[in-house]
Amino acid sequence: MLFFSFFKTLTNQTVTIELKNDIRVRGILKSVDQYLNIKLDDVEVLDLAQYPHLSSVKNMFIRGSVVRYVMLPRSEVDVGLLEDATRRGK
Amino acid sequence: MPQAAALQNFVRSIRLSTHPPPPSFHSTPPFLPLPPFDQRGMSFFGFDTSLPRDRGRGPGAKGFFENSDPFAQVALADKFVDGDAVDFEDTYDGLGDQLDDDQDEFNDDTFGGGGGGGGIGEAAPVGRDFDFFGRTAGVADAIGEEQVRYSLQNPQSAPAPAQRAPPPATDPTESTSRRTGYEKYSEPGYIPDLQAKSSVWAQKVEPSPAPAPAPAPSRKIMSLEEVEALEAQMRRGQPGGRLPPQQMQQIQQMQQMMADPYQRHPQQFPTLSDGFHQLPPELQAQLEKGGMPPPPPGMPELYGGPGPAIPPGAPFLQNNLPPQNMPPQPSRHAGLPQGQRPQHMEQQLPPPSSRAPNNGLPVITNPQQLLHLTEEQRNAYLVEDAKRAKRNHKIALLSRGNGLMTPQDKNFITRIQLQQLVAAAGNVADADPEAVLAEDFYYQVYSQIRGAPRQHPHQPLGHFAQTYLLQTGNRLGGNRHRNPLQGADNHMQRMQQQVQRAVEAAKAKPKNKQLIIEGSLGKISFSNAKAPKPMLNIKRPDSSEGPRPKKVQSELSLSDRKSILTNIERVYSALMSMEDMERTMPPPPEEGDAEAIQKHMEWRQELHGLNQKLWKALKVMEPIVPNSTTPHPFIAFLSHAKGKKAIPRIFRHIDQEQRVTILTMIVVHLDSLDVVRLAQSMPGEAQPSMAVRETIDLFSLAVMPSLLQYVNEAPFNIIIGLLGLVIAQTHVQSVARTKVGLGILTMLLSRAELVKEAGQAPERDWQQWVEKFNVLFDTLEPVLADIFPGSINSGDDMYVWQFLAAVGIGASPEQQQRLVIAVKDRVMETVGYSKSLPADMASQRLGNVNLFMRAIGLDVELLG
Repeated sequence: MLFFSFFKTLTNQTVTIELKNDIRVRGILKSVDQYLNIKLDDVEVLDLAQYPHLSSVKNMFIRGSVVRYVMLPRSEVDVGLLEDATRRGK
Repeated sequence: MPQAAALQNFVRSIRLSTHPPPPSFHSTPPFLPLPPFDQRGMSFFGFDTSLPRDRGRGPGAKGFFENSDPFAQVALADKFVDGDAVDFEDTYDGLGDQLDDDQDEFNDDTFGGGGGGGGIGEAAPVGRDFDFFGRTAGVADAIGEEQVRYSLQNPQSAPAPAQRAPPPATDPTESTSRRTGYEKYSEPGYIPDLQAKSSVWAQKVEPSPAPAPAPAPSRKIMSLEEVEALEAQMRRGQPGGRLPPQQMQQIQQMQQMMADPYQRHPQQFPTLSDGFHQLPPELQAQLEKGGMPPPPPGMPELYGGPGPAIPPGAPFLQNNLPPQNMPPQPSRHAGLPQGQRPQHMEQQLPPPSSRAPNNGLPVITNPQQLLHLTEEQRNAYLVEDAKRAKRNHKIALLSRGNGLMTPQDKNFITRIQLQQLVAAAGNVADADPEAVLAEDFYYQVYSQIRGAPRQHPHQPLGHFAQTYLLQTGNRLGGNRHRNPLQGADNHMQRMQQQVQRAVEAAKAKPKNKQLIIEGSLGKISFSNAKAPKPMLNIKRPDSSEGPRPKKVQSELSLSDRKSILTNIERVYSALMSMEDMERTMPPPPEEGDAEAIQKHMEWRQELHGLNQKLWKALKVMEPIVPNSTTPHPFIAFLSHAKGKKAIPRIFRHIDQEQRVTILTMIVVHLDSLDVVRLAQSMPGEAQPSMAVRETIDLFSLAVMPSLLQYVNEAPFNIIIGLLGLVIAQTHVQSVARTKVGLGILTMLLSRAELVKEAGQAPERDWQQWVEKFNVLFDTLEPVLADIFPGSINSGDDMYVWQFLAAVGIGASPEQQQRLVIAVKDRVMETVGYSKSLPADMASQRLGNVNLFMRAIGLDVELLG
């Protein structure tokens, strides 16, 4: 539940998500669930020229299993707390 | 598939019965009770053939689902089986609407009783519920007779325009079929001369519409018992022998036809008998009832049977009851096995709401009666009939699954679902914040720290399931005064308890990771987000065997990186358990409350144990090995960022003695601290590397405040002792070149000054202090010019000025003078440099210098 707990704190922050098919999407993280499915708002697709079919997508739901990376705003992460939360993880 | 079989039979029968009508076709007015073909042509196949326009105003137009029927639940299932009928409605091109129907009254005149019904343009799909029996009942006698008659006639003798269209499945070449089967009715006073010819029904079923509803076309051989039972019924049903023997036989044939559909029905419900052996008998009975409602009185009415007493003048449909309320009619069906009751009869039973009592139609108790009806009445009757057939067909299809699951079955499923929900989303019992914190630590604490908005306090997702249960309970609880619902309420409560018990049981015994139901393919695994299904099944060695030797080895070398990190983690886990302990601190005991005192004592005991664990993990008390190549474990601990960050938390949980021990440890090893060792800024050398500067900053932010906090409360003799340690144990000149070293010296010097000014310093101690101070001053004096970091413009030198100020305050006038001389150049440089800086930066630099200048009674202003 650590990652779920962690991503919950990032709601309403701008994150960049790289999918396993190399599409990178930047948007506001609206919600995340226990499967780390992600809802993005105000979506902006990076390298849009490669994915013209996504040019009109404004929000999306991303299945957690297709996410490769989530790039986070560093200032929104409390590293010390995260370390402790990791230590607690069972 | 019965439908296909029926269709085939039907097609065959068409082929064999494409006879031309007799020449007398147009000669007499029709007396066959047939409506205009446009209204009943489609109903021939058991569909609602009324045009949209007609449907809109007919009593049956309300539709099947507006009746209060027990099958509404399975309405969705209807989509599968009723698709053909729906398709027709959807795709109907509306051409029929354009027909001029005003002249319908003369259709019979034209077509000899409407034999041409079914119009070509309305070729309809053949439904499985084709009501052969009903359709042909009215002309049943005629058909057999016609068969005989036809054989005597010239097939080409009678042209009959557009009489009867073959069904779409028929070969196109047979669209010229002329025979209607109603020809004999052209003779007034015709009395059927019937031959018992079952072959007519078997292969030459006349598809022509007939005034009565008819069941499906396929035929099955009846068992002897059935035939006998039917005969018995018929005999009983013909009081006074009203029918001639031929007709009797004819009816018997019809009864055979009636028998067909329900003989096929068991095949349509294989699951009822096959899959549910384990069901209780009453349930099976229920299933049968659901799937095959008892027969309605439609047939007896039509055939003058001893059905329910029907007042002759009553509206003809009023007496029909909805299937559910139909009492079985043992008198008619006693001879039939339970599963073979004439199911199709029920198709003739329309739900009451669709009845049209205002039609003023007489009850049809005898087929002959139909013949005497007015045109209008017949039309209305047949329209009603078609609707009934369609509706009952739907009912039969919809009710197919009725009663498959008992309420207990449904509860069981619901329970499993709820349990899954609870297990996946968290536990209902996890209401206490500790468990929530354990699950969701980062989010919970982060939210507290940063004040992030929370939808709910503690926002555990487990509340979802709980909420669900409570909501349902409340909803039902609102209707408590109603008895049935009170039962439901109790039921919900029981279920809630059951769910909780199930969850607790699952928590207590989470062993079975999967379930294999006997006879099923595959497994059901009980994975959820917390305990996902393991993709790899690696057998881990027992903890007593594998890692043990390794651990011993790591304990041997106390200072390798890995063991240092392990130590740090041990410190952290001790810290966290102590922090958890603090949260669970019992309230301070009141006087005389022995139990509370006992509780508190136990808690303190436990906390003390954790403190010892922490202290041991810190390894502060490890013996100091002089001239050792490996640093002391505690200094190694401090060389990691994680260790530095732990210090403020450690200081909260240790007593003063432990704190001074730590401080002493740091002071003794001051020049081997990484922040001192790596930060030696040589004169003229550039600043230390970025990484080192970050380390220093971290130390200044994490460790120094804790130390300063302690020093500010420390007794004077400890300060003296610490200063003595610095002088004796460390290389003061190099320590003084670092920010951290100077910081610690400043800390000690300023505390001593504060103690002196507060008058708390005994004279003897003060003398001791002055001695040490003098040694320090003398040691540092040669390097005072070099303690500044880099050149004048290389950044922050405030801490140096702070140190110089601390020295200056405690120094004697003579020492102050030496101090001024030592740092005079730097002062002048800074003053001059600040003139080239923007105003705010200049004042900051000058302010730093002034810290020192004022400490020795001067001011930068004096320097002009």
